[in-house]
Amino acid sequence: MARAVPTRTKLGFTILGWLVGFLIFFPILWTVLTSFKTEGTAIATPPQFLFFAWTAENYIEVNARSDYFKHFANSVIISVGSTLLGLLIAIPAAWAMAFSPTKRTKDVLLWMLSTKMLPAVGVLVPIYLLFRDSGLLDTRLGLTVVLTMTNLPIIVWMLYTYFREIPGDILEAARMDGASLAKEIVYVLTPMAVPGIASTLLLNIILAWNEAFWTLNLTAAKAAPLTAFIASYSSPEGLFWAKLSAASTLAIAPILILGWFSQRQLVRGLTFGAVK
Amino acid sequence: MTQQSRPNQLFRNLHAKIAAIPMIFTAVVVFAGGTLWTIFYSFTDSGLLPRLKFVGLAQYERLWSTPRWLISIENLFIYGLGMLVFSLVVGFILAALLDQKIRFENTFRTIFLYPFALSFIVTGLVWQWILNPEFGIQNVVRQMGWESFAFDPLYNPDIVIYGILIAALWQSTGLIMCLMLAGLRGIDEDIWKAARIDGIPMWKTYLLIIVPMMKPVFITALVIIATGIVRVYDLVVAQTSGGPGIASEVPAKYVYDMMFSSQNLGQGFAASTMMLLSVLIVVIPWAYLEFGGKKRHG
Repeated sequence: MARAVPTRTKLGFTILGWLVGFLIFFPILWTVLTSFKTEGTAIATPPQFLFFAWTAENYIEVNARSDYFKHFANSVIISVGSTLLGLLIAIPAAWAMAFSPTKRTKDVLLWMLSTKMLPAVGVLVPIYLLFRDSGLLDTRLGLTVVLTMTNLPIIVWMLYTYFREIPGDILEAARMDGASLAKEIVYVLTPMAVPGIASTLLLNIILAWNEAFWTLNLTAAKAAPLTAFIASYSSPEGLFWAKLSAASTLAIAPILILGWFSQRQLVRGLTFGAVK
Repeated sequence: MTQQSRPNQLFRNLHAKIAAIPMIFTAVVVFAGGTLWTIFYSFTDSGLLPRLKFVGLAQYERLWSTPRWLISIENLFIYGLGMLVFSLVVGFILAALLDQKIRFENTFRTIFLYPFALSFIVTGLVWQWILNPEFGIQNVVRQMGWESFAFDPLYNPDIVIYGILIAALWQSTGLIMCLMLAGLRGIDEDIWKAARIDGIPMWKTYLLIIVPMMKPVFITALVIIATGIVRVYDLVVAQTSGGPGIASEVPAKYVYDMMFSSQNLGQGFAASTMMLLSVLIVVIPWAYLEFGGKKRHG
């Protein structure tokens, strides 16, 4: 950026930018603040901003009633599990498409991405029936498998775009030196693609963490992750805003914290690799 | 490709094909298979369980004469149009704003992306509250002295879909902004200089020179938004559950309710086949633009 921007204009833009940023962040901030209020203060008029009696009672109550840690554990297992399983399938596929493209590679990619665009309801019943018959309903394994399948096209697509930036000659050289295919992928390709894999990993964990359609429909009590945990506070508890806020904060905190410490990967991942 | 390296090429491609099998297998079996199954059963009168009694197009006739489905389609249309127009326009304006070398850009960008990292369930609940007339914006503005101020989209059947649209825009605009920002950064400095020397005003430079140059970014953004539109489901469930009445129903919710609450699988299948059809209408032109053109050039 060599374009000259006058200092005063720049200051103006910075202030304006931060104002918009604050507006965008406000709903999240408000949810976190409300979670520390009592139910009474939460609906007080005028709304209390910072000067209220901070309390952790909502967290204690929410945890006592719906066992946060069980849902949290389910969320972690399902999102991490489906991401790792997805990478296991996607790395070889992306490797094949990036380094040995054939005439049909573009068609395969397009076709694969198009499955991601189909409305999930279209396959809900067949999958539901399959799961019921094989006893996978309300199991973490079943949900892991479904989320792997739904996010696989995105993983393959992202890895493919990263792999394409790696010069194929290096892999060729490894092969010349007698590295087997498995060694080539594990010791040569994967280490070079770590930044790309990290972004993909993060994006996919977030997608799986937030996935609500499948998690709400295929789980009941045992395997329910955090999305189901918050959803259970929404309808019957509509007026208990403080508890709802506490439940929401608990569900989003891991993502916000993880995202803050890996901003580069977060931005790259969430923009599907478009922003480096 | 020379004659000598051919066996090697074949060998490589063999490996490549084997490596891609698990991915293709899941895509084919689950999505193509499941989708075809759904289309097939949409011509039957399946009720609680799928069964093979064909009724021709009866499910479709019933679908298109159901008021709830018509409302769903209308809502999807408003929501979709609003999402496309506003998220592209607002996203671009914010990106242009952020492109003016503002401080702490990375932090800023992360904050903008945060909403996109949240579950639609959380977004829906938070905005249910902000738009609640008793506790949210309406109340705050009234407290400040404007007693007759009314802003209760979630309780007004005529405008409830706009309430959902606001929440969805909040969630996705940051993402579009980041994509646009990346596109703006890819534009050559000389273009700006040339425009300034020619005395073209800033807004005109953006509108007539920069936007056309960013066509690929716009197409990517368009596809990301468009695919999200047809799938909208969890946001509506969390924010309004389709209410008040059936005013904020959307097609995905119709399908779901038909299958699981009304025990009318055939209706659900017919509705989801219609949704598939609408996705194809979006995907095929995009595929032609994005892939058809490139392949011809080699």
